[in-house]
Amino acid sequence: MAANYWSSSQRLHWQMSREKLAEIRHNLDAQDEKAVQAYPLPSYRQLSIFFNSRTACPSQLIRLGRRMQVRQQALATAQLYVRRFYTKVPIRDTNPFLVMATCLYLALKMEECPQHIRIVVSEARSCFSDIMPAYPEKLAECEFYVISELNSYLIVHHPYRTLQELTPILNLTSEDNSTSWQVINDSCVTDLPLIYPPHIIALTAIFLSVVLKSSPSQTSLHTTAAAAAAAAAAVATNPVANVPAIPANTGGDFNGGGASTNLSGNGQGQQQNRVGRLIEWYAESKVDMEAIIDCTQEIISLYEVWESLPPQAEKVFKEQLCKMVKQRGIS
Amino acid sequence: MPPYRSKVRVLEKYQIIGFISSGTYGRVYKARSRTPGNKKEFAIKKFKPDKEGEVIQYTGISQSACREMALCSELSHENVIHLHEIILEDKCIYMVFEYAEHDLLQIIHYHSQNPDRRPIPETTVKSVLWQLLNGVSYLHQNWVLHRDLKPANIMVTAAGEVKIGDLGLARLFYKPIQSLYTGDKVVVTIWYRAPELLLGSKHYTTAIDTWAVGCIFAELLALRPIFKGEEAKMEKKSTVPFQRNQMQKIIEILGTPTPERWPDVRQNPEYHQLSSFKQYGDNLKAWYQQIGQTNPQGYDLLAGLLNYDPTQRLSAQQALEHPYFHEGAKLSLNAFEGQTFEYPHRRVTQEDNDISLPGTKRSGLPDDSIAGNRAKRLKEG
Ligand SMILES: Nc1ncnc2c1ncn2[C@@H]1O[C@H](COP(=O)(O)OP(=O)(O)O)[C@@H](O)[C@H]1O
Repeated sequence: MAANYWSSSQRLHWQMSREKLAEIRHNLDAQDEKAVQAYPLPSYRQLSIFFNSRTACPSQLIRLGRRMQVRQQALATAQLYVRRFYTKVPIRDTNPFLVMATCLYLALKMEECPQHIRIVVSEARSCFSDIMPAYPEKLAECEFYVISELNSYLIVHHPYRTLQELTPILNLTSEDNSTSWQVINDSCVTDLPLIYPPHIIALTAIFLSVVLKSSPSQTSLHTTAAAAAAAAAAVATNPVANVPAIPANTGGDFNGGGASTNLSGNGQGQQQNRVGRLIEWYAESKVDMEAIIDCTQEIISLYEVWESLPPQAEKVFKEQLCKMVKQRGIS
Repeated sequence: MPPYRSKVRVLEKYQIIGFISSGTYGRVYKARSRTPGNKKEFAIKKFKPDKEGEVIQYTGISQSACREMALCSELSHENVIHLHEIILEDKCIYMVFEYAEHDLLQIIHYHSQNPDRRPIPETTVKSVLWQLLNGVSYLHQNWVLHRDLKPANIMVTAAGEVKIGDLGLARLFYKPIQSLYTGDKVVVTIWYRAPELLLGSKHYTTAIDTWAVGCIFAELLALRPIFKGEEAKMEKKSTVPFQRNQMQKIIEILGTPTPERWPDVRQNPEYHQLSSFKQYGDNLKAWYQQIGQTNPQGYDLLAGLLNYDPTQRLSAQQALEHPYFHEGAKLSLNAFEGQTFEYPHRRVTQEDNDISLPGTKRSGLPDDSIAGNRAKRLKEG
């Protein structure tokens, strides 16, 4: 239930396989093929970046959240509501700007930092321009729509809590912690929260933050992560074996032995050692390494898409969406 | 976007039998399913967004209704009222609950009004208390604080199962960062409010719920509230008044909260208020005897639940393991087992049973926690 992920509605009703998710989206598009042809929109991934991302292409929802100085957790909740909503409703039947503002309004209540509906509407209008309806009643009506499509399952679990719990256990530095936190934020831009339990995403974020630090430069990020993922896979299939190329401490305890002295070191070898120990800890804790690898790849490819997006992408996406909303008369 | 339309219509699915009550946030109706063969009864709680006399408009769902919807959808336990479904229709929220024939307020009332004032049978008290603690323990294990436990919110089905209801004030307490105190300042009906809250503590713990359970236990035995204080009204919206009279009632029975009994008592913001009270010794045992109770385990459990120190107060889980439940008469999961009489059924009236009409009573304000005033709710406690 509520704070227990294993019996939560998130696990029981809102966690699905990648294949299932693809099928749902295919079926949504198939509901109204005419609209899909008439109003070409960016891909789900690009849209999701447009709605949610923070860096490459400042997203709409995050922009609104920042403007309103919303706590990250509430923003993550709003992002997940948007994502769940669009597994139920074809995007072309909606005004995505109104949906985003509504999800944020609802998330703020659920995360115990409520804002008045009028404030949300006026901030959303300043942020999204007049594509956002001016009347609070519109948002309030959309709230019914959202809650109904979400089946009133509004309590969501995020990876942040696992990260906080594991930080002392894995002896993470504050830098590791904040990189992991950032990766978790980025995971909200992907489908991962619909596919994987929050602790898997947290473990991926920690894994990535430690791997990224051991990587000599950003350019080899992909290769480093891929190598680490391969190493992780090796451990997953044969936990007793030492990690090839990234030697692990035979003690196997991430904290134990000389670990804590190593942690403050920033030499290349020491960092690689940390990666090895972390992987070993995961293996001993019976972490689902396949899942970690899959999540890692998803995050890495998100970063690649980010980098490949042209600077004018935001403008183009927004125009496409606004045109669709206006021409279909779904303000 | 096209106007919102509910996929399910309340009146198509349910037949309204009558009107039960008008609560703080709306009205409650008794209903039956229209599905042939389904004999189950339901209580439908209707939240209205409108204010009296206005044209109904969408105004945004109150935070309290959001919490109740979200928590009730998530919770599932035999001692927590079961939410059957939620229907969002015509700008109103309908929460469809399983129907509970009785509640503790009504059961206590039945006994206290009875000319020969028969006490509630010990087997019933024991069963009710155990089931109540079992539900509270489940809530706490799942990081939910109920925050408004009182006899009116504890329901009992015709089969004698206890169901904790009204989660409109309940909150998740694992959420870091924000103090639980922000948002809504006043919680728990005054008679059931824990001493640390009366003394201005901002540190909410599960112990505020177990204090309330202690008060309810005492009330089941005495057939009247153990600490029946008079509420000091809010004068200014911004300041919460010190509830002197309520504190007085507690001190008269439990004695002065000294640092020996409650090591951190000085840490409470309103601690200084205590110096103006007369000193009392602990009179709980005398109170217990005076109401005619003789079971020493019952006393021990009561004292454990009404421990001043929230860190030493029994947790729901500890209380469940108390010898009181495991000695003497066998514990039954049917509160009415062996009873030779029947409690009257919940009153259902016909006058007001058109669920589709806008109500005449004011409902919860939209965005209520921003308005910040819970006084109305408390009055109705
Ligand atoms: N499941 C139920 N079965 C029967 N009666 C109920 C049920 N839920 C609520 N009621 C009745 O409606 C009243 C108000 O419900 P409650 O949930 O406490 O609303 P409020 O939050 O407005 O006080 C209760 O005191 C009780 O008499």
